[in-house]
Amino acid sequence: MSGPDPIARPAGLGVVQRWFETVITHPEGAEAGLGSADARHLIDLGPGALETVITRSRALTAAERLAIYANAYHTRLLECLGEVFPMLKRMLGEEAFNDLAFDYLQVYPSKSYTLNELGRHFPQYLRETRPADDTDDADDVGRAEESDAGEPGAMLMPGWGDLLIELARLEWAIYQVFDGPGVEDQPLLQVGDLAIIPPEDWPRVQLRPVPCLQLLATRFPVNEYFTALRHAEEEQVVPIPEPIDSYVALTRRDYIVRRYELSALEHGLLSALMRGESIGDAVAAAAWDPDGDAEEIAGRLRLWFRNWTAEGFFQSVVVPG
Amino acid sequence: MIPPRLGHPHLGLGIGLRTVHFGHILEHRPAVDWFEIISENFMDSQGRPRHVLRQIAERYPLVMHGVSLSIGSVDPLDMEYLRRLKALASEIKPLWISDHVCWTGVAGRNTHDLLPIPLTEESLRHVVERIRIVQDVLERPFVFENPSTYVGFTGSTMPEWEFLTRMARDADCGLLLDVNNVYVSSVNHDFDPEEFIRSVPHERVVQFHIAGHTNRHTHLIDTHDSPVIDPVWKLYRLAHELTGGVSTLLEWDAKIPPFPEVHAEVLKARRHLAADWTDPDPEPMEPESPGGSGVSCPLHHIVAEVL
Repeated sequence: MSGPDPIARPAGLGVVQRWFETVITHPEGAEAGLGSADARHLIDLGPGALETVITRSRALTAAERLAIYANAYHTRLLECLGEVFPMLKRMLGEEAFNDLAFDYLQVYPSKSYTLNELGRHFPQYLRETRPADDTDDADDVGRAEESDAGEPGAMLMPGWGDLLIELARLEWAIYQVFDGPGVEDQPLLQVGDLAIIPPEDWPRVQLRPVPCLQLLATRFPVNEYFTALRHAEEEQVVPIPEPIDSYVALTRRDYIVRRYELSALEHGLLSALMRGESIGDAVAAAAWDPDGDAEEIAGRLRLWFRNWTAEGFFQSVVVPG
Repeated sequence: MIPPRLGHPHLGLGIGLRTVHFGHILEHRPAVDWFEIISENFMDSQGRPRHVLRQIAERYPLVMHGVSLSIGSVDPLDMEYLRRLKALASEIKPLWISDHVCWTGVAGRNTHDLLPIPLTEESLRHVVERIRIVQDVLERPFVFENPSTYVGFTGSTMPEWEFLTRMARDADCGLLLDVNNVYVSSVNHDFDPEEFIRSVPHERVVQFHIAGHTNRHTHLIDTHDSPVIDPVWKLYRLAHELTGGVSTLLEWDAKIPPFPEVHAEVLKARRHLAADWTDPDPEPMEPESPGGSGVSCPLHHIVAEVL
């Protein structure tokens, strides 16, 4: 790697580009970027020397012109993240959301040709920087560096950080389901198809889920909270819900993402089916009430399979030879 | 002898396809001459955007316009990106594919901005070599647009029009002349926009872009969030005369109005090209555009639809 070039010769294209990128993506702006060690390692400009690299215009200095790029860099990406996580933005408010997203971009800058990937690591980032609280498990990691966005946790209930993470997970899942693989032009399993499976085959049968089916298990009722945020007026405060184990299924039909609340049992069953287990194995592994009535359980199972099939959760049924 | 428009057809007056207009277009099938898509919004889509695009491709001529090729970067070309671009092109059969004379990032990072290239012999060799590779991979001529820029480099050794002219000739590619970008850059860099437009190789101009921008008084920002201003229409008329007329596309990417309003804006081109058109005199002052984040080249981006 070439260091500072003391000779009055224009720096090569690669050096200029690395320097330019370092300057305009600096979290404290172009001026701080210019003075940063990384930038000075590439092109070492003393005070007032910027105009030996960047020209001024009649109206603006070189520094003011560079700042246009620096301002646009963060603004553009924050806008994009706000569109991928609209309810998280509404929950936190624009300022706190942008603070958090800004910090995220410093750790996970875009490395993809597509902005569709920009939010991929956001839920993970929120986990990695989750504020510590009383109810944390020992392995939970506290926020390494408290940002403004992390502080609301202090005034809210313990575990609040989980709600942020879970809402981000839900929004990222919605985003994936919306534009990922779907089955709009493919035949799906019909309720009538279930009726013709001989009863003795049921335990061995596997139901092949559609590729857009996704399940989430959360500590907070995040799907309900998402709905409440969506229906809230612009400035309306939506109360933070109490934690309660919650489950949601996402799928896509007619190119629109659909959300379904599930019980713990339904979630357990569907998870097992999505892993490729037979209906018999999935049902056997579910945490049924040991005092439950077999007839009542059978009735519930019939209803669930019927409803899930009607909602297009399954593509086909596989009866192993 | 190079044919006008590098042999490409003159498609008329088109509009940049944006998701907020999907419903209107599918329902009303407006009499638009053609659409330009942002390639990155569709190339990985397996959902509604791709589904809508297939329907639009059946009814309208399409052109693909990208923002991520990063032809000027010293990073290696992203071959996976090119493979996906080619796959989308083989499906929707665009009349041509374009991107910008810029770089978007280096050292593996993507800023998602169209960053300026120092206009040097080194840059020119680098860009030309990469355009040749891109055209070999895609097996078709590519078209490159002049971006709006906000800084210049003291190391630059030629004006932008010379860079574009030599690039297009040496790489044998087409040019997308963004008339609004010429205007924006001319104010930001204190050059004569008419000289720019007179100097590019007119037979290689395949397409025009027109758009609105934001006036910050000390500089202009290419925001694509407002109507085209009269000085840009005047340049457009000049470019039209010099090229003999090429496919014209209106970009509107922020504060996007309803479809009929966007369509009406591009149709103003007819009036501005009419023989009896006279420029308003005196030229109205450009107001400073209010509202919005005012970010340059706002990137239109997919938003999920959920019940």
